[in-house]
This record gives sequence, C-alpha cells and structure tokens, in this order.
Amino acid sequence: MVMVTKVPPRPAPARRALRLLLATGVTATSLLAVPATAQAEDEKSGGSTLTVAVSQSVDSLSPFLAQKLVSTSVHRLAYEYLTNYDVKDAHPIPGLATEWKASPDKLTWTYTIREDSFWSDGRQATAEDAAWTFNKMMTDPDAATANGSFTANFRKVSAPDPRTLVIELKQPQATMTALDVPIVPKHVWEKVTDFSKFNNDQRFPIVGNGPFVITDFKVDQYIKLKPNKRFWRGAPKFDELVFKYYKDGDAAVAALQKGEVSFVPNLTPAQANALKTQKNIRVNDAPGRRFYALAANPGARAKDGTAFGNGHKALLDPEVRKALFLAVDRTTLVRKVFQDHAVEGEGYIPPRFSSYFWKPAAEQKRSYDPARAERILDAAGYRKNAEGRRLGKDGKPIDLRILCHATDPNDKASAKYLQEWWGRLGIGLKVDCLDSVSDPWGKGDYDLAFDGWSVNPDPDYVLSIHTCGTLPATPKDTGATDNFICDRQFDSLYARQAVEYDAATRSDLVRQMQSRLYDTGYMNVLAYPNALEAYRTDQIASITTMPEAAGNLWGQDGYWSWWSAVPAAASSDGGSGGSSTGVIVTIGAAAVAVLGLVVFLGLRRRSTADDRE
Amino acid sequence: MTSEPYVTAAALARRRRRASLARFWHRYRAHRAGLWGLAGLTLIGLVALTAPLTVGADVQSVTNAPGTALASPSAEFPLGTDQFGRSLLGLLIWGARISLLVGLLAASLSVAIGTLVGILAGHYGGWFSTVVMRVTDWFLVMPALVLAIVLATVMSRSVWTVVLAIGVTSWPTTARLVRAQTIAVESRPYIERATALGGGDGHVMTRHVLPNVMPLVLAQTTLGISTAILTEATLAFLGLGDPTVVSWGGMLQDAREAGAVSSGHWWYLAPPGIAIALVALAFTLCGRAVESVLNPKLGVGR
Repeated sequence: MVMVTKVPPRPAPARRALRLLLATGVTATSLLAVPATAQAEDEKSGGSTLTVAVSQSVDSLSPFLAQKLVSTSVHRLAYEYLTNYDVKDAHPIPGLATEWKASPDKLTWTYTIREDSFWSDGRQATAEDAAWTFNKMMTDPDAATANGSFTANFRKVSAPDPRTLVIELKQPQATMTALDVPIVPKHVWEKVTDFSKFNNDQRFPIVGNGPFVITDFKVDQYIKLKPNKRFWRGAPKFDELVFKYYKDGDAAVAALQKGEVSFVPNLTPAQANALKTQKNIRVNDAPGRRFYALAANPGARAKDGTAFGNGHKALLDPEVRKALFLAVDRTTLVRKVFQDHAVEGEGYIPPRFSSYFWKPAAEQKRSYDPARAERILDAAGYRKNAEGRRLGKDGKPIDLRILCHATDPNDKASAKYLQEWWGRLGIGLKVDCLDSVSDPWGKGDYDLAFDGWSVNPDPDYVLSIHTCGTLPATPKDTGATDNFICDRQFDSLYARQAVEYDAATRSDLVRQMQSRLYDTGYMNVLAYPNALEAYRTDQIASITTMPEAAGNLWGQDGYWSWWSAVPAAASSDGGSGGSSTGVIVTIGAAAVAVLGLVVFLGLRRRSTADDRE
Repeated sequence: MTSEPYVTAAALARRRRRASLARFWHRYRAHRAGLWGLAGLTLIGLVALTAPLTVGADVQSVTNAPGTALASPSAEFPLGTDQFGRSLLGLLIWGARISLLVGLLAASLSVAIGTLVGILAGHYGGWFSTVVMRVTDWFLVMPALVLAIVLATVMSRSVWTVVLAIGVTSWPTTARLVRAQTIAVESRPYIERATALGGGDGHVMTRHVLPNVMPLVLAQTTLGISTAILTEATLAFLGLGDPTVVSWGGMLQDAREAGAVSSGHWWYLAPPGIAIALVALAFTLCGRAVESVLNPKLGVGR
C-alpha cells in the first residue's frame, strides 16, 4: 500500500516507548521533559537545511516492504516511479517513463524510459532496472509485500532495449499510468537474497535516482537526505533535508517556534490556532486526502469460509447498523472534535478527488435522526427493558465495543460522543483504546472500530481492500482486507472498474461502488479531516502544495513539496521563543513537579527509615 | 474510670477505646501541619462528595457541553473550557471523585496485601517467611511505576485496572513493616501465655497481632494514598487510564493531546496539576501526624 496509509499516522509502539521513558514518576515532570527533548538538536552544518518533524516510525527502507506513510514519502524522494502525478490536478505525468502507449486490446503497454536519469553511483537508469523490479515482484512473494496489488495482473515484463519497457497484462488494468512502484537499481538489488528481511538501511548513501539521496538513517531519530544534483527535473534548492523525530506533538511545535525545525505536520486545532498568530510561521489548513470512518465488523471470516473473531451478532442486522449511524451527528463531530478543520463525511472518497467523489442522495442519506433510529430499532424487535437498555435477540442488553487508537486524540474524543448518542438509544459502548489495534483487528475481535485511509488520485487500492479477494486465506493468515467486507455486488463492480479505461465510465462505476458500500453500513465515513501543518517562513521562502491551490504539503502523491522548497535568503537563527504564557505554564508545571517530588521523596524516605516496635 | 462498680466487659472496652481516641485526638491536635492536612482533606472530601449536587454528572457530557472549545477563564467558566466546551472547574471537581476513589481503594488494597503478607511471614517464620520475604524483596526492587505501567497495558482500560495495578505494586513496604512489628509483638510474654492457654495460630494473629499492627497500618494507608493518587495521575497522564472517565491525570493527558502546552492554555494544565499536588500533600501531612502520634520515638518536632 504505497498509496495509502492507515490512520493514525503515528505508529503506536514507538510513541508509547517514548512516553514510558517520560514516565519519571511525577506527572508534571513529563511535561517538563517536552521542551528538554526539543532542545536536543544536532549541529547544523553549513548550507541550508530543511528539517521536517515526523513522528511515525519507519517500517522499512526497502521499497518492497515499506507501507507506512513516512517510508513511502521518503521513497518518493529517493526513487523514480514510471509516472508521477501532476502537482495541479494529479493527472499522470512523465516520471522515469517519458511516454507510454497501450496496444489496441489494452493488454500490452509500452513505456519509453528517459535517457537523462542517473543512479547516484553514476550509472544510467534503464528499462532493464524497471523490468527487473517488476519481475522480482512477480516471482518473489516477499518482494510483493508492499505493492503486489499492482503486479498481480501482469503476465510478462520485458526490456527489449534500454529505452523500452513492455508490460503484458492478463486482463486490462486501469492503474497502468498510476503504478506507484519505486524502480530500484538492478545492479545493487540483485545481490539481495532474502527480500523479507532486507531493509535497505545498512549502506549509505542509498543508491537512487530521485530528487534526493538518502545519506543516513537512525531508527526514531532521523532520516537525512542530500539533493541529487543530477536529477533530471532539476536539483532541489535546499542543501540538506532532514526528517527528525518528535514523538510528542507539542515538542515538535515548540521546536518549530524556536526555529529548530522548519515544518511540522499533523497539528491539533489548538496548536494551529496558537501558531497562526506567530511571526514567521505560516499555517497550512487545506482539505486532506484522508477519510475518517467508523467500521462495523461484518462477521470476520477467511477465504476458506471459516468464521472467526467475536464481533457482536446484533451488528449483522442491517437495521441495527442503520439505527446506530442515524444516531451519529457528523456535523457535531466536525465542529467539536475537529473544530471545523474537517469536512463532514459522506461517501468513501474525499471530495478533493472530484472525479470519483460521491455523496448519497437525500433519500439514501443517513442524516442525524435519533428519533428515527429509535423507531427502526423498535420495529426490528429490539425493545428497551425496564432500565432503558436495548435488548438483543438473545434477550441480553446490547453492549458494543469500539476499537480506538490510543495515540489518536480524535478517536477518544469521537468515542465520547458515540457513547452518549448510543447511550440514549439504550445501547452501551465500551471504548477499547489500544496502542496497537492491529492485533484484535486482524483476529476479528471487535464490534466497531475507528478506521481511516489516505486516498490516492487513483482509488483502486482503497477500493480493493473491501473485496472478497483480500480476505485472509485462513483465520491464521493476514489479508490486505480492511474490515472483512465481502460483498458480491461490490466485487463485481470492482472487477468492472479495474478493467475500464474510459474515465467517465470508470468514475461512474467507482461511484456505484461507494453507493453500495454506503448502503451496507459497514463503512461509515464520519469526516474528511484537513491537513493541518505549519512551516517557518524565515527558513522556507516558498513551497508547493498539492494540489497547488489549497493542497497539503506532508504526504503528497509526489515529491513536489520538498523538491520545490526554496530556502529563505537570510535565515535568521532562532525565533521569538515561547510566548509569555508558555513561560508561565512551564514555571507552573515546574512548581507542581517540585512540590510533587518533595512529597514523593519525603514519603519514600520516611517509609523506609521507620523502625517500629 | 473509677465510676460504677458493675460494668460489662463490652462497655469497659468501649470506654477504653473512646478514651484512647480522645487521647489520640489530643496529641494529634498538637501537630499543626497535621491539622492543616486534615482541614484540606475535609474540604476536598466535601467537594468530592457533594459534586453530584454542585456540578452534577452532566458536567462530563460532551453532547451537552455549554461552552465553546478551549475558552479562557470567564465569569461563566472560572477555569475556562476544554476542547469539547465543558467547564474545566466542573471537571476538576468531578475528577476529584475518581482521583480520591482510586487513591483510597488502591492504598487500601496495597495495605491489605502488605498486612496479610507481613503478618503471615512474621508469625510463621522459618522457610515460609524466607520465601515470602524474597518475593517481597523482588517486588521492592522492581520499579513500581514500570510494573504498574506493564499491568495497566496488558489489562483492559478501566478504573479497576488502575486500582489493581497500583495496589499490586506498592505493598512490599507495608509487608516489611508489618512483619517486623509482628515479630516484635509475638516476642512479648502475653503471646506465650495465650499460646499456653490454647490459642491457635489464627487466634494469635487476629486477636493479638492484628490489633497491635493496626496503628501502623493506619499510618501506612494514609501515606500510601498520596502515592497512589500520584501514580494514578501518572498512569492516566500516560494514557493508561480509562479514557471515558474524568480524572485529574486524565485531564492533564487531555490537555496535552489538545496541544494546550504549546498554545499556552495554562488554565487547562495548571489546576489539575496543582490539585494533585495539594491532595497528595494533605494526605502526607495527615499521615505524618498520625505516625508521630502513634510512635513517640519519632519525636515531637514533626
């Protein structure tokens, strides 16, 4: 899933590890540790450095394994893909391939590889490299881990000459101009023996042909990149690009205020509002490419038909799902939880992708209507008992569980609202906030879950994860499936859109798929969160968003933001520092910490010094 | 004490207890810090107990939140509002209930375990004592917070998990103290007499040892509560508490997640922190006063 990333963007385990480190025994000392970590900054060498605060851990630097947003963003910078997305409207534009054409039967695609792309060790990038990359993914299942969905339908890939790449397909494939697969240098990668274990993080610089070259990497500390001076589109303007780890959002913001980092993504509304008024800082608040949804367990099962997991039986009833989501007030969630930095959720694909965006018609839409929800439940035979609890078909009160990401404040906040709304229906909700939800999720041990994906200009992938084909082979396996949805009607539409080359027909099919998904009630999009990010204008003179008008900077579909960033002429060091209230907060926290520590230590000393008779 | 000649044994015991309580209070009054602590506790206890009347359970409701998000202090909301528009003063008062409840329960659990282990180890002695005390030592050298974090992580998120995690990790000190006291009590001649008269293990432990270690246990509980409250706040701050329950540590965690630190919303951060410190301080002052009343060897100055 090079193109999509599961929310939350912050990986749970690593963040937790840091938080545990922060656990010094007294609550407030943890607060103090925040500015302290921000000050630990490495020396800036001469020249301009663009420092980006990140929090998500790298899963792997191998393009064959990497699925997390931070890793795939780095790969966008370090490797060329056959095609790229236009910065204005995301239509496919030349990347490593300068042009492409399909045979009349659309089963043979011929790409012309550019002559002016060189690997950072000096060798020329050729069609041979591309052919080797695809063939490896087709023959070695380990190499197909991350992007196998693109090559599953390939019959044969060959390079008749260094400038020509020919891909033959089993069936037509709509994603042929959106193959998000990093092309790797054959002469380096053919030495790799085990693709499941090779993480590409031992020898630096890493040979690549993108706008940047990865020069150094330390787990959860930094990823350093230098510009590729020979990059065919032109070398980037900054002398160095550093992705620096801040596991704490407030620490990253403090670093931005001090000028230690140039860019911070994933701000909270309060942080964005506070930064908006500060000198030399620009806040970018743009429509995002993510959706934020409520997934209901449709009864997890494997491809072999075995049902597993312990999803609540009541959720298998479409009327219950319908009633539950009629009682969810999405406008309130957008206003309160996202504080208007989001758009109310409707269809599966965010409105930013206008050609595929779909929204339910008035009679199809599940608008907020708790009274109707009550009526539906009553009519379906779920009666309230004397205590006002709704009883299931088995006569027991319905108590649902919801999986929430402990690292995502939005999950917790939304869960509070759901608890109250559904409580009024007489349905209990237990909130299970976990650092890593993937374990119960994969086992099907959930009733409801907060879910979300970043959507690419081509929606094939985010649609594919709801098809029967992605279910795990047996209950023990893991599948690419998101929520164990397996719906014949959805699948047949998916198959039709995958082979449809006519853009209008395809987008109509994709809209029908979304309509079907909406009606099943298994995926309920609550909101499309905005991208909230900030950068220092005294370090970055200009930077390109994608789309150029009102777009995001972090997690783009191309390398545009970092490639286009221009250093500010006179980069003044250090900013205004924290505001005076910030100082007061720090002093207050320090006082509390000292007080707490005194109490704590005094008590410790005494309780051990006692010797009684 | 020299009044009517015919009094029942029960009445005599009652009178003796009342007298010793009066004596205790008389000595306790001499500790000014202890009085301050007691006054503080009474106040906080009253606030927590009357919370359903003053602020009401509705203060936790996000759907009925009256204010706008993250408003600064005003006449309507003296401490401002949180990201849902709920009154922070109301949440602070409501949060006192959970913080105190968890503190009391966790400290009681911890002292209960400690007392049981201590008395058993002290009474039976021998290899049993050695084994039990080595287990105690193991818990003693384990960093309690780390152990509590591990427990809170593996169990489901709820208030009871936190109580259990704190209780199970903080008992070893009590166990050691109680064991020492048990050995001291059992070396007295009247225990020997009781045994000679046919008093079994159970009789000695419950009738003679337990009443004698109770004062120690009481002081230990009072001191333990402040540690427990601090630990509860720490766990909640680290996101290991029940996210749907309002507690002081949880408020700090919510504040941090909302970005209150970098946006300088001191009214969100400072009150819960100060409240935690004050309650912990009050319990410590009380505990120390109780301790020095019950144990004159500790000196008068404290």
